[in-house]
Amino acid sequence: MTAVDDTATAGADAGAADATSPEGVTVMADLRSHLRKSKAGISGIIICSVFALVAIVGPWLPFLPDPAKQSLPDKLTPPVGWGGTWAHPLGTDQLGRDILARLIDGARISLLVGLAAVVIAAILGTTLGLIAGYVGGKIDTLIISAADVQMAFPGVLAGLILVAAFGPSVWLVIVVIAISSWMVFTRVGRSLVLTLKTSLFVEASELSGAPSSRVMWRHLLPNLVSSLITLCVLELAAAILAESAFAFLGFGVQPPRSSWGLMIQQGRNYVTGDGWWIVTFAGLAIAIVVLGVNLLSLWLQSFNDVAEREQIILERPGG
Amino acid sequence: MLRWLARRIIAAALVVFVVTSLVFVVTHVFTDPATVSLPLEATEEHRADRRAALGIDRPLAVQYWDFVSGLVVGDLGESFWQDQPASKLVLERLPATLKLVAGATAVTVLLAAPMGMLAAWWERRFADHAVLGFSMASISAPPFWIGYLLIIVFAVQLGWVPTFGSRGFVSLILPSFAIGLASAGRLAQMTRRGIVEELRKPYAVTALSRGFSRSYTIVHHTFRNVASGFVTMTGWELTRMFTGYTVVIEVVFAWPGVGRLAIHAIENRDLILVQAAVVVLATLVVVTNLLVDIARRMIDPRVELA
Repeated sequence: MTAVDDTATAGADAGAADATSPEGVTVMADLRSHLRKSKAGISGIIICSVFALVAIVGPWLPFLPDPAKQSLPDKLTPPVGWGGTWAHPLGTDQLGRDILARLIDGARISLLVGLAAVVIAAILGTTLGLIAGYVGGKIDTLIISAADVQMAFPGVLAGLILVAAFGPSVWLVIVVIAISSWMVFTRVGRSLVLTLKTSLFVEASELSGAPSSRVMWRHLLPNLVSSLITLCVLELAAAILAESAFAFLGFGVQPPRSSWGLMIQQGRNYVTGDGWWIVTFAGLAIAIVVLGVNLLSLWLQSFNDVAEREQIILERPGG
Repeated sequence: MLRWLARRIIAAALVVFVVTSLVFVVTHVFTDPATVSLPLEATEEHRADRRAALGIDRPLAVQYWDFVSGLVVGDLGESFWQDQPASKLVLERLPATLKLVAGATAVTVLLAAPMGMLAAWWERRFADHAVLGFSMASISAPPFWIGYLLIIVFAVQLGWVPTFGSRGFVSLILPSFAIGLASAGRLAQMTRRGIVEELRKPYAVTALSRGFSRSYTIVHHTFRNVASGFVTMTGWELTRMFTGYTVVIEVVFAWPGVGRLAIHAIENRDLILVQAAVVVLATLVVVTNLLVDIARRMIDPRVELA
């Protein structure tokens, strides 16, 4: 009996150790060599790091005017190349504020909201997915039905009703984005658990008397990590876009604080006249950072080929 | 088929019921239309009056029963901003939104199918990379920003189309593209991947080795097998349009649809009207999903849907 027990635990631990050393080291090495061959991966990482860095050190950058400083004589100065000067490289907005400084200032909110929403969605969704897949039965049915209903009630609709009820705020936007993407993690997590559940290391761990919580967190979760990270990156792109849409509609950050979506909303009355640069540059910032995240996700997908899992997300039962 | 259909319709009705109930919980349990409609400094007396006028002083269960029985006959309450039945206001705006979604779907399908086929035809060649580039750019740019860029270039600089509002067919062009480009980008990649996978299957290899050209095989053999997935994805894009894109794009182009109505209702603190708009849009999403399932089953009899 002890002998069986020992081999069983050893097997279980080998399964659990998947994401750490020593196999973890080779995974990292594989990842790096795969990255070197992938233009998409390299450009994605460069774009994301630059934006993350700018968002973090933004306020301490030298030579940058105060993003909130208004100067009406300088209002609607065009960018360099269209008659502007290097005092305002990307021009100024309708209140004479420097656009480059405002873009850098807005990067924080735009990226933080998306990131926070994805982290919340991932934690909530994965937990529910693990439980649904591992415990099964009525709980599984309940969680999956909730996910199906959520699919029929996507973010913007929930956002409309919640903003109408509670008024606009950044926290509300984070919550709305999180509740409109948790089910993606639940579905993927659940389907992976269903396939892993029958594997030897899970059975071994169960036979050696591990409680369900230990099986779920120590043995199943580590095996989901790589797919879940890929999914997080994919969802991050959607979350940043969603944040910009909510800010544009006036649901999120309120002036005088700023985000890229809000800049587009404030500059939109100038698109037809002399002020196309406000909307253009703010949107460009969103587009470039989302492109970076998308490239990163493209590379991660090609690395652990989630085509199959993606099919699972896309294949929605009726709702 | 009939039994399956009946089951699907019942399931869809159930989802509509659950979603509308959730909406009711937000609008009547967490807060209420009277509180939302009044400014913060309103007196308690004022609030009580408004509550009585809206029937919110009654027990929640009675209100819920009213709400549900109203839904069944299409009564979504009174808008106090416009002093009219909310359902009438929403239904008046619905055709404009449907027109916009139809235009965007046309753009999506007409761009995505040929681009996906071209990319698969010249797999790993220039056309493939170009289509991938288009897809990445279109899914990364926020649709409302694409809308403004289209306005700047085609309405302001070139003056080909009107900038805002809905004046006939021409004014539908820019908003349709603003919504449809991202959907086309996603769909084109999905089509390409589907065809490339199918081309490796024995039947396609046989067709190719019998001397059919790659383009003939793609159009006549593989695309049909991808069609079911294509319809499903198009349906998903439709639901995205109903729930997200149209709201934002209607604001950009001052398009008189349901989404813009909802935004105006929020600005005017009219919770009942927002609720009506959301209920109608959510129902459209459920109906779209149902239609997609039916279409999928008709195209590909192998699809066994639970």
